Amino acid sequence: MVEAVPSPIRAAAGLYLAAILLFVLGPLIVVCGVSFTAGDYVTFPPQGLSLRWYEAILSSSSYTGAALISLKLAVAVMVGATIIGASAAIVLHRGRLPATSAISALFLAPLVLPTIIFALGLLTFWSATIGQTSLWALWVGHTVVAVPYVIRTTLAVLSTSDKYLEEAARTMGAGPWRAIRHVVVPQAMPGIAAGAFFAFNISFDEAILSLFLRSPEITTLPIQIYTQLEFSPDPSIAAVSTLMIALTILLIFVIDRVLGIQTVAG
Amino acid sequence: MNSLRNDLIISVPGLLLLGFGFLIPVTGILVLGLRDAEGGWTAVHLLRFLTDPFYLGIAWRTVKLSLVITAICIVTGVPLAYIMARGSPRLRLWLIICITLPLMTSVVVRTFGWMVILGRGGVIPDLMNKIGLVNRNYTLMHTETAIVAGMVQVLFPFMVLSILGVVLRIDQRLEEAARVMGCSFLEALRLVILPLAIPGIIAGSLLVFTLSASYFITPSLLGGARLPVLAGSIYESATRTMEWHFAAAQSIILLLGVLVLLIPYARLSRRSHG
Repeated sequence: MVEAVPSPIRAAAGLYLAAILLFVLGPLIVVCGVSFTAGDYVTFPPQGLSLRWYEAILSSSSYTGAALISLKLAVAVMVGATIIGASAAIVLHRGRLPATSAISALFLAPLVLPTIIFALGLLTFWSATIGQTSLWALWVGHTVVAVPYVIRTTLAVLSTSDKYLEEAARTMGAGPWRAIRHVVVPQAMPGIAAGAFFAFNISFDEAILSLFLRSPEITTLPIQIYTQLEFSPDPSIAAVSTLMIALTILLIFVIDRVLGIQTVAG
Repeated sequence: MNSLRNDLIISVPGLLLLGFGFLIPVTGILVLGLRDAEGGWTAVHLLRFLTDPFYLGIAWRTVKLSLVITAICIVTGVPLAYIMARGSPRLRLWLIICITLPLMTSVVVRTFGWMVILGRGGVIPDLMNKIGLVNRNYTLMHTETAIVAGMVQVLFPFMVLSILGVVLRIDQRLEEAARVMGCSFLEALRLVILPLAIPGIIAGSLLVFTLSASYFITPSLLGGARLPVLAGSIYESATRTMEWHFAAAQSIILLLGVLVLLIPYARLSRRSHG
């Protein structure tokens, strides 16, 4: 009888997994550790334990102001990207429009085009036509980047759902809008919801577009951190970062609950 | 047709956003790279990049780093994808969550983590100092090693997930047959799994390479001003020296480089999904 997996290889695989997880999660763990330091400097392991840097960021208007801007923006992007992405997914799934594949390519293009090129394009276009960049410029940029994710999660659900339900509703006398509202949208809901949380997360963490389009009034949280990193990092950055990591973990678990992270990742 | 009209109405907001917010700006920037100050066509900005040894050096560093990053992702990604494919669904789920967590966190947050680990007095230099390899002031910041570490951490999931998709579809009986015929476990991996996983490896490599060529926040924070990469140089030209035409020309070069690799990627992934 041969052994399915020889035990030395089993042991090596265990060590390998541990090393990979340390490499991938190490930087995030270090950030959390630094945030609880009682000392004045960024050091790991932390010197003593305290929550003083959390107090510091909560009483710093530059951090709370940036957090408020990021939050407002992320909610607006979530709403916009969800409506646009979900309707696009419904239409693309039906595939009745002429040039459906061209439309689909256009909607998904922001996924593959290097964000830096899009950011530079949006900056020059906005400056040439509208002028000073504003929160609206960031909203446009973040929404464009987030829409493909909503489309993907919604399509993932629609492609496995029963398409005759909509036809049945129409046969029973429901108008096209009523059928969408009461049949198609509820069917696609897990995908739409997961996409919405994705969109929120993308906007809240986004830094490339925000850097290009930045102006003093639209300093988002990632930009505030970036600026601090370029000059003098202190443990307050670690505290903000830890809160952002916690939010991301929360969103991942919510997405996994509503849709299953494997559907999204696959 | 009534239903066609409804479909059109639903997609209009999205088409407007993508048209005005994406297509026109991106086309605009590509055209801008070929324009001179008076609005005529010119290749002078492209030539400036292609003839200046400084910028050619930047292009070479970008390609070199992307190659190294891709190679590391392949070597570390293949075993992980295999473990995930053959492990229990529960293990697979947790590993997917763990490796995508850095991807979902903000680039500034995870880069800050690397700065703490690699900087002067940081975790790794401190460890190296304790075992007597380097002196107290040693730092790994502003090195190509730092850039590679920071980029591999976040690009690794793209490689793993694209290999995983392929390995999950390999019939497990092929492996069993190889074992019954006398292969050792490792031989079966090398002779059966690895050849069948090649499409996933190629697709993952193309994705990782193009993504690593277009990132600029991690390289600019971890590599510093002395180790510029192409995307970082675009940012410098656009925001610090305000040479928009030149930034646009560099974007054209980046896009051409990316497209050369993305077209085979699209072909490959369409074949494996279709």
